[in-house]
Amino acid sequence: MSSATAASLPSTLAPLLTAYGPPGREAGVRQALRRLLRGAGSFSEDATGNLHLHAGGGGARLLVTAHMDAPGVIVTKVDPASGLARLGILGGRRAVELIGATVRFEDGRLAIVTADRSAAKDGELDADALSLESGAGKHSSRKGRSSARRATGNGAHGTHLEVGDVAALEDRPSRLGDLWCAANLDNRAGCAALAAALRSARRSRFDVTAVFTAQSDLGSRGATTAAYGIEPEIAIVVDVAHVGDGKETSGFAVGKGPGVALKESGFLAHPEALELVRRAARAAGTPLQYLIRENEGSDARAIRMSRTGVPTAMIAIPARRSGGLWSLVHADDLAQVSQLISAILTLAPKGAGTKTRRSRRGKGGRR
Amino acid sequence: MPPRADTIAARKNSDEARSRSVSDWLRHVTALPGVPGHEYATAPGIEKAYRLYADRVTRDRIGNVYGWIDGTGATPRPRALLAAHMDRIGFLVKRIEAGGFLRITQVGGFDPRTLPGREVVVHGRAPLVAVFGTKPPHLQKRGESDKVIALEDLYLDTGRSEAEVRRLVRIGAMVTLRQRPVDLLGGRLAAPGMDDRAGLVVVIRTLELLRERRPVWDVVGVGTIEEEFGIGFLGARTAAEAVDPRLGIAIDVSHGDMPGTREGDTVPLGGGPSLCIGANIHPKILDGLKATARSLGVPCTFEGCAMQSGTDAMDIQISREGIPTAVLGIPCRYMHTGVETVDPRDVDRSARLLASYLADLPADWSVGERLK
Amino acid sequence: MSAPRFREDLLEALSNAPGVSGGESEVRSIVAQAVRDQVDTLEVDAMGSLVARIAPTSAASAGARANGSGPRGRRGPHVMLCAHMDEVGIMVHGIEKDGRLRIRRVGGIDPRILVGQVFRIGPKGVAGVSGVLPAHLLTKEDEEKVIPYEDLYLDIGAATREEAMKQVAVGEYGVFDTVYEGWGRVRKGKAFDDRIGCAVLASLVQQRPPVPVTAVWSVQEEIGLRGATAAARRVTPDLAIVLEGTAAGDAPGAADEESAPHMGGGPTITIQDRSLMADAKLNGVLTRVAARRKIPTQWKRPGIGGTDAGKIALSGSGVPAAVVSVACRYIHAPAAYLDLRDAQRSVDLVWHALEALRKEWPVS
Repeated sequence: MSSATAASLPSTLAPLLTAYGPPGREAGVRQALRRLLRGAGSFSEDATGNLHLHAGGGGARLLVTAHMDAPGVIVTKVDPASGLARLGILGGRRAVELIGATVRFEDGRLAIVTADRSAAKDGELDADALSLESGAGKHSSRKGRSSARRATGNGAHGTHLEVGDVAALEDRPSRLGDLWCAANLDNRAGCAALAAALRSARRSRFDVTAVFTAQSDLGSRGATTAAYGIEPEIAIVVDVAHVGDGKETSGFAVGKGPGVALKESGFLAHPEALELVRRAARAAGTPLQYLIRENEGSDARAIRMSRTGVPTAMIAIPARRSGGLWSLVHADDLAQVSQLISAILTLAPKGAGTKTRRSRRGKGGRR
Repeated sequence: MPPRADTIAARKNSDEARSRSVSDWLRHVTALPGVPGHEYATAPGIEKAYRLYADRVTRDRIGNVYGWIDGTGATPRPRALLAAHMDRIGFLVKRIEAGGFLRITQVGGFDPRTLPGREVVVHGRAPLVAVFGTKPPHLQKRGESDKVIALEDLYLDTGRSEAEVRRLVRIGAMVTLRQRPVDLLGGRLAAPGMDDRAGLVVVIRTLELLRERRPVWDVVGVGTIEEEFGIGFLGARTAAEAVDPRLGIAIDVSHGDMPGTREGDTVPLGGGPSLCIGANIHPKILDGLKATARSLGVPCTFEGCAMQSGTDAMDIQISREGIPTAVLGIPCRYMHTGVETVDPRDVDRSARLLASYLADLPADWSVGERLK
Repeated sequence: MSAPRFREDLLEALSNAPGVSGGESEVRSIVAQAVRDQVDTLEVDAMGSLVARIAPTSAASAGARANGSGPRGRRGPHVMLCAHMDEVGIMVHGIEKDGRLRIRRVGGIDPRILVGQVFRIGPKGVAGVSGVLPAHLLTKEDEEKVIPYEDLYLDIGAATREEAMKQVAVGEYGVFDTVYEGWGRVRKGKAFDDRIGCAVLASLVQQRPPVPVTAVWSVQEEIGLRGATAAARRVTPDLAIVLEGTAAGDAPGAADEESAPHMGGGPTITIQDRSLMADAKLNGVLTRVAARRKIPTQWKRPGIGGTDAGKIALSGSGVPAAVVSVACRYIHAPAAYLDLRDAQRSVDLVWHALEALRKEWPVS
């Protein structure tokens, strides 16, 4: 893979990390991806919010996905007296990770997440103990009356929140040596790796459709509808996998290169898809580590169950949690994942996209 | 035509021969390896069995194995899908530690209480015998033996050096329980994997019977993958999508009678197949199975499946535009242990019931109603 | 054209009828009879859902032609309207030697409301009471424990298993023994989730709608949104609106009185629940129509519950979906309350939304 791809990763990653795209409201990320991938193929969007890029090529239909939603919050209640809002968490973030986080609404308004620690139950904080402070102060009670969503500027005034407003986690990415430190690495890092590979890839031996899926954190919703429409013969999912503490993972670690999932929640690797990834890793010269995780999963679960089944592999970008807002990803791991994706796209498909195998005709009768 | 007395004796002998060979089938099929995600290890054995009776045997790209019996009706013929799952619960190697000890992750639900001291086979480059390591009582702290050992704290010992283990075993390798089938009194048989190899034997036997008395419909017996693992039933869902059947029947095991359970929790071993009642079951199929059982004189029992049947039928029912389904349960004691126990007569009765029901299905059988 | 009248007579019949998930046939018969003459086709599908197709009025298309909104008049999008027929209840799981019935719940029921209740079991409606040891015979500790539902049993008065089996059978369903009644604007009955949706839908199809509609009265919603999953695959609509009975928040001690929907506050619109991100554009049509027609509406508190819309939205290559609910107190309990005005308001809102969709919704 050319060093051009490695160099372009930071310029691909930064705008994706800061783009607005909580689950179900991914417009900001779609926009950023369209800009980054202009000329790479033909775009389309579907009813669930997925962004499709048909990159073409010949051969078997390959679907490669990365989910573009990153966790956010939704306003569930507004206290008219104080202007404070209650929130629900969209996506797999724990309440304690969001304390003090700055969030940004689609129209640019900001708020911060505050916590009432005395509301912790058995030391565990949940979303009910969190509030959003937007600087709104007292305002006349609207009681959630029906009104079209009004546009406001992002000034200090007019910051009133309404039930149903959705905000993304405001990201301030930084580099700590070789590590990326950011809030939205899961899965903007996956999107960046995929985008970089698509930008630099030569003509593929597969008929490639890349889908940046929506609402993954709400149950792989975008992946479900995308796979149905595309009917791929083989699929590759790119996602971030957080290294667990202690016994959770199989020695899977940050800095040891791309991972491929053998088992995760609702997913077991398909032998042929796994072999495709192994061959590509050998061709690209990247290391490959194995991921086994019990309680977390990816869009691979939903895609492989589509229609008559799709051999699917999940490529994992290793990441570490800080226990708070930030995650950490090694820059070399990210670059190697991008190289691995490129290698898959340009690999000669030996044995991929298997048709139904017919066994010998039965002769009948007992032998 | 042989004389009457001989006919009776001949039928008794052939019934005996049939249940004896059901036992043989159970012994053979339960021994096939294959855990969720690794059913390619089971598939060749199932294909070989199907090939004895089916007109055609196929495997799809996700790993399901199909045995097709062509019906006698005019094309296009409706299809009946019989589903039994090929995967049996087991483990995957998660990590190789210093000293060559193996840590595992489970695929399918095990009771960890049944594991300490158990023998297993690790399917590496060659099959390796291993045991779940245990601390002898002499070395335990007081009270330690009162606590159940959690799965994460269990490990496997192959007795080999770390270097050899690393050479022979890959991360993700399949691990299965090692246990020979045990003959118990009354013809009963205990082996790991009765769930759901007993169901597969029912399918194999049903195909055999349908070959002798062909149905009007096409009947396809599918060995599904990954019933024991995951969210939803991958093999059943994809098979129903591919086959587009007019009805589907899942054959799985039901809890056999055991002490300490309440009325309704179990069905009696030797009482014949259990027919499920509930939302996952279409009443028209249930009524048909009941009527066939009565006319054959096959005893059967009933169990309520209030919210779900926990079988492949769950996903078959909601596949495509909806498919009417039913569930046949083979009574089985001690499910999800190494000593799952069934009565082979129940397996045979299940096959006879299914074969007769399917052979009698008229070409115009369907569900749903056009009211206007 | 003004919206159809809400048919309270249907709500009463539907609320009183038994129809636990998997045993919806009686409810289906009532709906089928009520809508048969008004719809173009009527079918029962492989899972038991009732599916009706109604072509739009030719008057609607003619009106469109007159408006100059297209060469052949704008047909508008194909809309799937869906309500579920099933209610939560219990199933007879086993019969003890002494004639007591072991039960299992069907759908989400808080085990605490099962004790000391009356059920009607099976097609004959055999009465059974859920027995519990009276306080006199319990220790203080036991009094404070919640009885897990596996320990519950129903007493139908039988002394032996044989006697019980003459009246009931394993697999039969039981429903709360509640009779529909009303006073003022309040109506009380069982299964308002979702017989109110079924009645709203049946009322909507009493007139030919402005767009092509497929109305689905689905089965098995309470046990996993199952009927709608299969039905949506068959119907392949352009968009969907699900009609539900949802939990009202008003009650003393409810921390969130302000935001949870109120009985009488008008139709409740979903923004986000555990199954669905409601389509923002479709919600926009609903809120604009409500404002124009001065129909009060309220937002459902985000993040609570799930409906058939979640599965319909994920069918095929994706379907924009929304949920309009009547706020009811005490759903999934023996006796629920609703405000009858909310029923007519829901009919009005959906009807006029269909008119707006015909004009505004882009159709490929």
